[in-house]
Formats: sequence, C-alpha cells, structure tokens
Amino acid sequence: MGTFFEFILENIQQFLSFTAFANLTIGHIIMIAIGLIFIYLAIAKDFEPMLLIPIGFGILVGNIAFAPGFQIGVYEEGSVLNYLYFGVVKGLYPPLIFLGIGAMTDFSALISNPRLILIGASAQFGIFGAYCIALALGFSPTEAGAIGIIGGADGPTAIFLSSKLAPELMGAIAISAYSYMALVPVIQPPIMRLLTSPKERVIRMKPPRSVSKKEKVIFAIAGMLLTTFIVPSGLPLLGMLFFGNLLKESGVTKRLADTAKGPMIDVVTILLGLTVGASTQATTFLTFKSVGIFMLGAFSFIIATTCGVLFVKFLNLFLKEGNKINPLIGNSGVSAVPDSARVSQVVGLEYDKTNHLLMHAMAPNVAGVIGSAVAAGIILSFLM
Amino acid sequence: MKSIEFKYIYSFIFLIVFIVAGKNSFAQNATDLRFNEILVHNETNSVDDFGNRSSWIEIFNSAYNPINIGGCYLTDDLENPTKYWIPTGNPATVIPTRGYMVFRAGDSPSQGIHHLNFEIKDAKILALFDASGRTLIDKIEIVQPQKPDVSYGKKSPDSPDWGFFSEPTPGSNNNPHKEELAGENFAKMDPMGIGMAIIAMIVVFSALTILYLIYNTTGRYFVRKASVTRKKKDADKEVIHEDVEIISGELNAAIAMTLYLYQMDVHDYENTVLTIQKVSRNYSPWNSKIYNLRKMPK
Repeated sequence: MGTFFEFILENIQQFLSFTAFANLTIGHIIMIAIGLIFIYLAIAKDFEPMLLIPIGFGILVGNIAFAPGFQIGVYEEGSVLNYLYFGVVKGLYPPLIFLGIGAMTDFSALISNPRLILIGASAQFGIFGAYCIALALGFSPTEAGAIGIIGGADGPTAIFLSSKLAPELMGAIAISAYSYMALVPVIQPPIMRLLTSPKERVIRMKPPRSVSKKEKVIFAIAGMLLTTFIVPSGLPLLGMLFFGNLLKESGVTKRLADTAKGPMIDVVTILLGLTVGASTQATTFLTFKSVGIFMLGAFSFIIATTCGVLFVKFLNLFLKEGNKINPLIGNSGVSAVPDSARVSQVVGLEYDKTNHLLMHAMAPNVAGVIGSAVAAGIILSFLM
Repeated sequence: MKSIEFKYIYSFIFLIVFIVAGKNSFAQNATDLRFNEILVHNETNSVDDFGNRSSWIEIFNSAYNPINIGGCYLTDDLENPTKYWIPTGNPATVIPTRGYMVFRAGDSPSQGIHHLNFEIKDAKILALFDASGRTLIDKIEIVQPQKPDVSYGKKSPDSPDWGFFSEPTPGSNNNPHKEELAGENFAKMDPMGIGMAIIAMIVVFSALTILYLIYNTTGRYFVRKASVTRKKKDADKEVIHEDVEIISGELNAAIAMTLYLYQMDVHDYENTVLTIQKVSRNYSPWNSKIYNLRKMPK
C-alpha cells in the first residue's frame, strides 16, 4: 500500500513539475501582462483590434511556461504551433496578406492624382533613417535592415523582411511594427501640427476625378511589371498586391477577389497574428535587443511622418496656387492603411470642418504600401 | 498607319520577350555548368571511396536551380567529344543549386558514375559537351606540367580568373575564407549606412517616379478620351434637342396627356390587383416526417 502511495505521489510531483506554475519566470509574467495590455487596447480602445487581439492572445499562448521537450511551443520542432509558424518563418503569410490587401484596395485616388505617389516614396526615409541609427547602435547590417523596415509601417512587409534577414528578431520586429501601427493616431498628429502652418492646414485640394475600369486594370498590370522589373526581390509582395488588385478590378473574377479579401485574408491574419504573438516567448523575446528595436521603431515612425509632411511642403514650392497639396496628407506616406489616412482626415477637420482629406490621403497611403515593398526588395537585394 | 506602327511595336516587344525568355530557359539547363577546379597529380590529397588517390575534376553549377549533368560528355580530346558519357537516370548526377560535383580520373568507370574512363595526367584540354555530344558547354586548357597536390581552379565560382591553390578543395568553394556575406561587405564599405540609405532612396524614388510618369500619361490619355466622348454625347443631345424642337407644342401636350392618362389608368388598375406569389414546396419523401416514422401495426 505504501509503495502505491509513493508511486501516486511521485506521479503527482511529476505532474506538478510539468505545470506552468512550476516553470513560470518573471519574464513570462511580463510577457503575459503585455499580451493582456494588447487585448485591452484592442477591446477597450479599439486600437487595431483585428491585429492586436490575435497577437495579444498569441503572446499569452506563447508565454505559458511549459516544460520543454513535449512538442508544445512554437519553437519546438514538430509541434502544431511550429507548423503554423512555418508560414511566418518562410515568409508565406505576408504575400497572402498582400493578395488580400490588393483585392480590397481601391487605387482610384492614386490613379487620379499620380503625383501623390511621390509622397509614398518620401516616407520611406523612415526605413533608412532607422537603418542608420540601428547600425550606429551596434546592430549588424542585416539586423539593422530588418529593424529599419518597421518605419515602413507595414506589418506583413516587416515580417517578410525580418524572416529573411534576422529571423531571431522577427517577434520583436513584428510586435513593434504592429504596436506603432496601432499608435499611429497618437504618434502622428503632434508631428503634423508641429511642421505645418495654420494656412497650410486648410489648403483645399481638387476633388479626384473618376477613374475608368480600363485605367484600373492598366494600373495593376503596369504597376506589377514596372516595380518588379526594378526590384525583382520585391516580387512576392508586389506581385501578390497587384494580382489581388487585378482580381478586383478586372470585374470578371469577383468570386476570387471576394475570397482573397474575405475569408482568405481573415484566415491568414488569424494564423499570422497568433503565431507572431506566440513567437514572443519570454526566453527568446525579453532581451536588450528587443528594447532597442522598440526604440528604433518609434524613431522610424517619427522620421517617416516628418519626411512625408516636409516633402509635401517641398513639392508645394513648385506647385501653382490651386494645385497645392495639403501637407496634412504627408503623414499618410507610411503604409499603415487606412489609419494614417484617417489621421489626415481627423486633423484636417480640426482646422476646417468642411475640408475632407481622406480620399486625397488614401493616395499616398497606398503608394506607401508599394514604396515599402520596393524598399524591402532593395534591402533584401543589398543585404542578402 | 497607326495600326501598322503598333504591329511593329508589338512584334518588337514579342521578339525581345522571346529572346529574353529563350536566354533564361536555356540558362536553366546544363549550359550553366562550369569547370571549377582540377587536380592533376594527387599524391597526398583526397581519396575516393575505394581508397585511391586519383586526379579529379570539379564541376560547378552556376545556376540557381539544381541541374542534372546526366547525359553530358566529358572528354580530353575535342576530336572525340563523346569520350565519357555521364550515365542518366541516376540521382547522383544532380548537382544542387550553386553546388559542386567531383569526377575522378583513371580508367575505372566500373567504380561508379563519378569515375571517368580516361586519365588527365597528360591532358592538355578538358571539355564538357551537352547531351547531343556536339555543343561545347565549357572547356579548360591545362598548363603542363602541373605541380603535385597543387590544384588549378577559379579564384571564385563566378570569376573568369584561374589560379593555383596549394590547398585543393574538391567539392567546395576554392577560396572559402574570402567569401563574405553581402551584409558584411556593406558594413565594411558603408559603416554608417548613409550610402545604402541614399542609393535605396534613389531607387525607391526612381521606381515610384516611373510609376507616376506612366500613370500621369495614361491618366491624361483617358481624360482626353473621356472629354472627346462627352463632347460627342453633348453633340448628340443637341441633335435630339433640335429634333424635339421640330415637334409642335400641341403634339407635345397630346403626348403628355396620353402618358398621364395611361399612368393613372395603370395606377388604378394596379391597386385592384392582388398578387399572389405561388410558394413552391419542393416535396421529397426524405423530408417528410411520415416516411421517417415506423407505421403503427394495425
């Protein structure tokens, strides 16, 4: 009888040693707290709920302190989470997200006023500004490239590039990118107000003209060919983006476009968010490098917004009265679609209740998506 | 005239596309194989699977896809290009992407497909021919005499320059220590990242400026086209308007009255009609409860 109790006791002890309570560290507690903050921000403050809920919950999933060796964690080969994480590591999910983005984006604003494309290019200074600062802080060139892309404000692009250049930093980079994207309404307005005069803030822009279907189809095909001929390494992202857009604009593949922008992007977003969140295991995530990445992420957003606004002011020097661009749409060059365009609209309305900038801001916003994918392609071709 | 011009432009584009595509598809084949290193006198260097120290030839796959060398020919005599046929249907003849394959010289083909049927100690030339045995893929001229245990190879896999190596490296890069990652090179040449930032931003701006120019041009074309169509429509409207003016006022009044009466009539009539839409029941024994219940025995 005594032997039986000893046996049971031994098993109970073994069971207890396998519980998360036995393996819990202070790091896990911090990460679980961060996950809960993400979920709170998403539910209570409505900050990017589609991203922050899966990521926040993923952080909780990734920081359950299990005993290693049971094929549970995201980094354990053969575990279910590891299989799902494969799509992140191999850069599979971001192009699929881009396909959906292409299928749901209307590029009419951009096509009707193509000069606004250049604002999307100017905001990419944030990427390379952060790259230089990261190098100065002692990050390796590949790490610096992966960190810099946070300034592009494009989550899928950031994940895609970091999976190629610095897979070990991917969790921190993705979390940083998505966090700052959610914080766009907080980060950008003070910079926009600081860099613009009251007169500039009330500039009225001509309403965009209507764009024909033919133009939209040409846009998708020509855009893909041109950008990928210049930067072939951006093909997975740009190819899928324009392909998705062609599905939408061709008018004959409605079912495919609906799937791409509906169920497919939802499935991929769930998998991407959850696994990226789960990749933030305290043991690999809580490092000084992660703190550095967060700081650099903030810098890159600030630089990108500043450059976008200043570039519009620069363009206005050459434009005639009546053709001038409202510099409040300069912030939209970062490709946080549609949040940064929404920020332009909100800030614009503060100074003129009848001046709606949303449609104009969407043009640099979607150009920013193209610009950041091109920038990612360049970084890949330079550093790989 | 315009259609003829377009025909020429299209033909030119197709020609370019075919040339480029043709070049690339050819590049995916055995044409990307290159001699990379040879060791003529092997005294202390690597041994083969049979413990023999024989001369060897290393071939490099310069393509970014695996290439099957099976079916090609190796020879030391351009007059006899089909001297050694590399057997086909063997997975061991596939050279991985940017990988290497070593062939051992000596009259010993029975020892495996990587063993040639000729010696290279006195050879002056080595050549690789494709499966037809007629097209030369690559060749090297061997400067004789060669020193023992000193190989002759390319300074780097993609370099055209050859040199001598006191440390032969069969099956790998001839100069493994000197190859650096692109990122490391960048860090050395551009430690602050300024150069990278400038170049990259120029590329980003160029790409998006080209997009801007193209969309601007196509946009202008479509705006012009739309304005022409609009003008045409306006002109048509004017014609109709003129036609309408010909109709007398009495006639217009008569038409209007007729339409009014007709609409009133339709309205009154409609109000008296009850529309009963037939509700179709798609009957099937499978959804009838009666058929799914066992009948009570009488």
